[in-house]
Amino acid sequence: MITLTHFLVVSAFIFCIGLYAVLAKKNAIMILVGIELMINAAILNFVAFGKYDKINYGGQIFALFAIVLAAAAVAVGLAIILNVYRYYKTVNPDQIRELKD
Amino acid sequence: MSAFASSISSILDHIISSIPLFKPELTLMIAFVCSIICSLFVDKIWKFSSFIITITGLLISLYFLLGQHQLFIGQSGFFEMIKIDQLSILSRIIISISTLCITFFIQQRFSNQIRPIGDLYAVLITATLGLHLLTLSSNWLLIFIAIETVSISSYVMVGYFSKTKFEAEAAMKYVLFGSICAAVMLYGLSLIYGFTGNLNFDSSQHIQGLIEAPKIMCSMAFLFLLTGIGFKLSFAPFHVWSPDVYQGAPTPITAYLSTVPKIGALVLLSRLLASWTDSPFYYSEFLTTITIIIAIATMLIGNLAALKQKDMKRMMAYSSIGHTGILLMVALVYVQHDIDVLLFYLTIYALMNIAVFLFIDQLEQGIGSTKIESYAGLGKKHPLLFVCFSILLISLIGLPPTAGFIGKLLVFSKVFEQYQVVNEVSLLVLLIVGALTSVISLFYYFKIPLQAFLRENQTVVDLPKFNIFLISIAVSISIIVVILGIYPSLLLNFLK
Repeated sequence: MITLTHFLVVSAFIFCIGLYAVLAKKNAIMILVGIELMINAAILNFVAFGKYDKINYGGQIFALFAIVLAAAAVAVGLAIILNVYRYYKTVNPDQIRELKD
Repeated sequence: MSAFASSISSILDHIISSIPLFKPELTLMIAFVCSIICSLFVDKIWKFSSFIITITGLLISLYFLLGQHQLFIGQSGFFEMIKIDQLSILSRIIISISTLCITFFIQQRFSNQIRPIGDLYAVLITATLGLHLLTLSSNWLLIFIAIETVSISSYVMVGYFSKTKFEAEAAMKYVLFGSICAAVMLYGLSLIYGFTGNLNFDSSQHIQGLIEAPKIMCSMAFLFLLTGIGFKLSFAPFHVWSPDVYQGAPTPITAYLSTVPKIGALVLLSRLLASWTDSPFYYSEFLTTITIIIAIATMLIGNLAALKQKDMKRMMAYSSIGHTGILLMVALVYVQHDIDVLLFYLTIYALMNIAVFLFIDQLEQGIGSTKIESYAGLGKKHPLLFVCFSILLISLIGLPPTAGFIGKLLVFSKVFEQYQVVNEVSLLVLLIVGALTSVISLFYYFKIPLQAFLRENQTVVDLPKFNIFLISIAVSISIIVVILGIYPSLLLNFLK
């Protein structure tokens, strides 16, 4: 029997993997993948909790909107990273540091 | 399915009857579509078409907003998704007027670019639409959509030209940092939804759910939530993106980012604090304490880091972080529903920052640099410009007789009143830090008049050519700042 707890544990794992991908930054594309994992963890949570919200289906609707918004943000992010690559010939955020104190 | 069939007509009736409440936003949506079409097809024939569409759209939306003032106060539409009240109407008016200023700024500044800028107007309208939604709602779904709309359009605006490597880098840092914060916030929202089973944060079911939620998880969800709002407001420790982005982005875009999105985010935070910190339960205390700590840290970090900056735009970024600390104080004050204090400070803040960035931009055009040292000796050549610039800086410090002083005075006195009621030491510390950092800010703001008027210029600089229109906007804003400093009731009566 799969209960709510299982969903929550899985989503917490996915969130942590995403957070690790973001913090161990070596490649901007990988950071975007990490962000996507974090968003998907949240979406999983929403759908799992949505099971108990039979009147409004708030969680399900939220999940749909979150998927669309994540796709939009990633599209813009990729375009911007492509621009950066044209100037720096790298997408490693550690090496892109002309702006600093 | 058949259960819904009977109620579908009443649902449709409700949606149709809520459309009048949504007129200003609908206008913006239509303007957005028209502006895209114009930038694709009409701009080749008549290059001002998308600009005219944008201005018209913003003006019509402003007209509908002013109309809402009498008609719809206290109403809600779209199943409680949007709520019209005094705060949302007035803050949307401030947002629209500031966006109008920025639109003229962008038009004057970029009109001779090789790359067409029609799309930039469309993106600007989208950002404004998102901010309108942010001030309207207390539903997490709409708030998340609004925050993402504003964020995505801001990313596009920062990276739109990418003429230099700095602009590209600023855009990349912005998009990565922003998306991470949004993802963390979404996770926090999912937890809060799990605790409460409801997405409307001032409903009684929501409050009840928070009371029953496990303490540690609830506190964690709050911290996740504050990450997303903190990114938009750029308070500590989520401020690290703002100096880089402000320095890298084109100056008109920086002027937009540093003022208008903060208005929307602050209105949201004030509503959140007002509905969540009123109760005697642990999460209210937790939220109040954490806000006070963040406010103190933000003021200290912003003002201390600004001291050693040499670049004017970077210094303004840290100065606006410092101001965010005071904005957080304003949000705490709003718990008592002092709408006029909140809106007065927001208006003054937006006016001052837009005008300062107009001056920075014009000087950058003239002398080709945003370094503070490069202003040396220019004060004698352009007395009017630098006198007005200095007035604005005095107002940013918060010295009389400017509007900045009145704003800070109102905020500090409200916080002190609250301190006398609840007798909490943390509020007193907040006040002391606020006053101290205002003194610190004196040192870095006065670098500019010092350079301009007292230092001699070694090299001969060509007299820069200024854009008369933009300079006159900035000069009139500085005059308004002084007038409001002497007669604050002019604005306060309007905001009551």
